Amino acid sequence: MRFLAILCALFLAALPARAADIAIALTDDLIKVDAGFSGAKIVLFGALSDADGAVAPKEGPGYDIVAVVRGPGSIFRMRPMLHQDLIWKAGPAIDIGAPELLLTSANRPLDEIASPPLRRALGLGAEAAWIAPGVVAASPKAARYVQETGALSIAESFLEHVRKVGRFREAVGGVKFRKGALFSIDVELAPATPVGDYAVEVFLFRDGALISRDGAKLSVRKVGLEREIYELAHSQPFAYGLGCVIISLIAGWLAAAAFRK
Amino acid sequence: MQVYLPIAEMPVDPFVVLAMGGAVGFLSGMFGVGGGFLITPLLIFYGIPPAIAVGTQGAQLVASSVSGLTAHLKRKTVDFEMGRFLVIGGGFGSLAGVILFGYLNARGQIDLYIALAYVIFLGIVGALMFAESARAILRDPTKRPARKRTRRGAWMAALPYAMRFRRSQLYISPIPPIVLGFLVGVLSAFMGVGGGFIMVPAMIYILHMPTNVVIGTSLFQIIFVMAITTILHAVANQTVDIVLALLLLAGGVFGAQAGAKAGVLLKAEHLRALLALIVLAVCTRLVFELALPPEEPYVVETL
Repeated sequence: MRFLAILCALFLAALPARAADIAIALTDDLIKVDAGFSGAKIVLFGALSDADGAVAPKEGPGYDIVAVVRGPGSIFRMRPMLHQDLIWKAGPAIDIGAPELLLTSANRPLDEIASPPLRRALGLGAEAAWIAPGVVAASPKAARYVQETGALSIAESFLEHVRKVGRFREAVGGVKFRKGALFSIDVELAPATPVGDYAVEVFLFRDGALISRDGAKLSVRKVGLEREIYELAHSQPFAYGLGCVIISLIAGWLAAAAFRK
Repeated sequence: MQVYLPIAEMPVDPFVVLAMGGAVGFLSGMFGVGGGFLITPLLIFYGIPPAIAVGTQGAQLVASSVSGLTAHLKRKTVDFEMGRFLVIGGGFGSLAGVILFGYLNARGQIDLYIALAYVIFLGIVGALMFAESARAILRDPTKRPARKRTRRGAWMAALPYAMRFRRSQLYISPIPPIVLGFLVGVLSAFMGVGGGFIMVPAMIYILHMPTNVVIGTSLFQIIFVMAITTILHAVANQTVDIVLALLLLAGGVFGAQAGAKAGVLLKAEHLRALLALIVLAVCTRLVFELALPPEEPYVVETL
């Protein structure tokens, strides 16, 4: 029923719009990370409209839709694994500024939808060349490593890592055209999705040019006991540590009592 | 099914963790050891960050040592006076260990040094235990060598502030137990082990305590020092995951009961040889992890 309500609201909102407009809404603007969290799927519902009223995007010529879920800017610290005296050890620290999370879904590959400068300006996906200027060596030793390896190569390794753990993803075909001018976009959140506040944006392109965009907000929050434990451990670490000890003492004593003959 | 660990911030399969706790509990019940030195490597092999594995281990050891201590309290085989000095030394040792841990953690080197510490200690303990038990198995049972009572070194008698330890029937300075406690405290905090494998031989061969009070006194020391270590890790490094600790504990409780029953079926020297082989196998696996090229070319963390 919620699904229908959103569709109706969108449909009504889209009707009096300007030339070729886009509007979206989320089924859930809060993702709860609890004990059983193993990733989640969010669905964006959207509607398109043209000067003549609603149009079905698949009928319209050259329409493309891209959805982006983006986290706030963050700093990732990377240490190369170096072979040294028979063992592998983590080397000097290299810092990379990048969004905490960057998930895109589009109806076809991003490089077919818009030109690289436009994609970069809008933050659609990520390429090593865009990340490379944000590579900062934290020490002279790290600076030497960056010089030897090249910032571009480090940025490529960075992208490989964040894509593997599911922090960055470029999905193609996540856009489903529904009835008339309505569409939906599925975005998968990986189990390793960090908690935080994210911006969701949807872009409408026509023949490679951006013609409309709309945004929404998404929160990923720890809930329930997990959140309380995490918050207690970070805000009141002494009380938390003491609590852990007391729980362990009781548990150990109970175990001994239970098995006493 | 998955359970999300709130501090490690990762989902784990609870049955795998329960099974690990159970397996190590079985071994500790069978061999009469704490098992901390096996749980930490197992958790690391499973993918838990080493810093969390070590920090969490303290809470788990408090619980298993309390279970063990209750029996010794009833038999009155705990030397509280000796334990007090061991705990004083252990508290300071734990503080030193946690500071060292935090320093290496900030520099991104903690994983390496935990693994190196384990390779060194598991290698030495495993090799010594294996050699000793192999000799015992091969020895002709008809002629037992007369056990020479090692004499206490003159250095011990020369130390000041000598006092009486009634339960241990000793008249010694409290300085050696404080130093011993300190060293074991550093290991406890840095490696997440109780340190019984060092404490027990040191009590017998260096302090010359009677064998019957050694285990109980060691457990008494472990409870206090691990409690201090857990609080220090929680405050300084936020690496204590209570959900992980409780899962390990639940598995460990049942494992230990089964292990204790299985232990009586084997001869003591065979048990020790078996444990030595397990320790050496874990050590070898850690060596391979350090020596083989890593799967990921970079370690990445979010600041």
